[in-house]
Amino acid sequence: MRLRRGQEPTRRLAHVWNEANCTACGACIIACTATNAPEMMHRKEKGWDSLASNIRRIESQNAQGQPTMMLNQCQHCEDAPCVHTCPFGAVHYTTDGLVDIDERLCIGCSYCVAACPYNVRWMHPETGLPNKCMGSACLELVAANQQPACVQACPANARDFGDLNDPSSSVSQTLRRLPNRVLLETAGTKPKYFIVESSS
Amino acid sequence: MNVADLTLQADVAHWSWTIAIFLWFVGIAGMGSVAYYFSRKAPLAITILVSLIVGLLFVVSHLTRWWNLPVTIFYAVLELSFNFQSWMFWGFAILSVHLVLSAVVVVANIPYLQRFWFLRWAAVLNKSNLFLGLFAFAGFGSTVYSGFLLSTAAGVPLWNTALIPVLWVISASVATVALIELFYVLGWTDEREAAFGLRLGMGLDVMKLLAVLAFIHISLTVGTMGAQIGAARMFSGDLALMTWIGVIGIGIFVPLAIGGLSLLIGKKKPLLIVSSVAALAGVLFLRAVVLLAGVWEPLVI
Repeated sequence: MRLRRGQEPTRRLAHVWNEANCTACGACIIACTATNAPEMMHRKEKGWDSLASNIRRIESQNAQGQPTMMLNQCQHCEDAPCVHTCPFGAVHYTTDGLVDIDERLCIGCSYCVAACPYNVRWMHPETGLPNKCMGSACLELVAANQQPACVQACPANARDFGDLNDPSSSVSQTLRRLPNRVLLETAGTKPKYFIVESSS
Repeated sequence: MNVADLTLQADVAHWSWTIAIFLWFVGIAGMGSVAYYFSRKAPLAITILVSLIVGLLFVVSHLTRWWNLPVTIFYAVLELSFNFQSWMFWGFAILSVHLVLSAVVVVANIPYLQRFWFLRWAAVLNKSNLFLGLFAFAGFGSTVYSGFLLSTAAGVPLWNTALIPVLWVISASVATVALIELFYVLGWTDEREAAFGLRLGMGLDVMKLLAVLAFIHISLTVGTMGAQIGAARMFSGDLALMTWIGVIGIGIFVPLAIGGLSLLIGKKKPLLIVSSVAALAGVLFLRAVVLLAGVWEPLVI
């Protein structure tokens, strides 16, 4: 449900990705597409040149020349630039603390794409919508008190999702217990996608 | 991270030539409206309206859900979901007002239309300094908006500088002066305006050169890594040719050289055509190179 002006979210739902546990199998990426955009299962996303998924795999090298891999997705920022820049209020916060899009109000201007420092959106070739996590099918899963498709699909328990406001939630416990970081912290967007560090 | 991994996203947002052309037309219409306050010539009025319409056609063609615009406006009004924090929202508002005012000014400038009694109010408005001041303000607002549109796109650090709206105003003024010189060649404006435009244009060219170099220098030296990557592409990378030849060579040095020559030997119409076309092209190249150079902040270092 859309968060109204002056209203505080009742929950602060967040994603956790444990890079130490992750085997880079790609199950989360495929599960995301199969659940939220099954029509894109056999089509590449033009901009990213990979499977059209709300989770993007970024491969790189560290200073020692060793290969590194990171999974990137919507951070559901608490101070989201995409919400600030959307001209007609299509991109909005929900009462669960997520960033969602109301497609009735979207004209496909791509301003949210250019405004996202995390580079997570992709334009759906048929609907013209700037897609990102969470897709509508995953939102339905969450509304039914289930975990999103990526968390359900992960064979290594590298992904988790839950309420930061609930100290007993698994994500809160993990973040208290293990060292973690967020991406581009200095951007001031207050991201809610936490990476549990592999050195832990 | 490979820079190509970042720039690929430009294909997702499509913020390249289509938007550059839109920004170019908006700049011409915007600062043209400011010039109209002083010049008040029919060809300028028509150019402003045509530029706005063509620019808007380009930007609408860029929308991936343009067909949803009426539905969006309906629900946005119904639910009061307009986002006053968004420069794009202000852009819609400013450009709408600018478009309507431009149409009024064109109606006032076409004698045939003034035969109709129900359109004569346009001629009355066209003589009002208050109305034309509002028109100039709307034009200036359109140009400034087109700069802030990029400055507030937080994902692309190269653009996140207050210099872009200033650079856009200066370069759009250069384009307007170039148009006035072209009108002089075509016999649509007088010697006095052309002579003033020549001197003003040279001053603006120098300011534009300073602003372009400042933009690149600041981004290269104290910008974030994403800004540095973008500026490096403009300075010495794959977009360097467009920067040095298109923006600075054709867009600044050619008009400056011809302007200087014209002051020495007098105005030659063929040279003025070359100068004006070069200046107009340079303004388009500037918008294109800034857009194309934008990359996202690397997430993995």
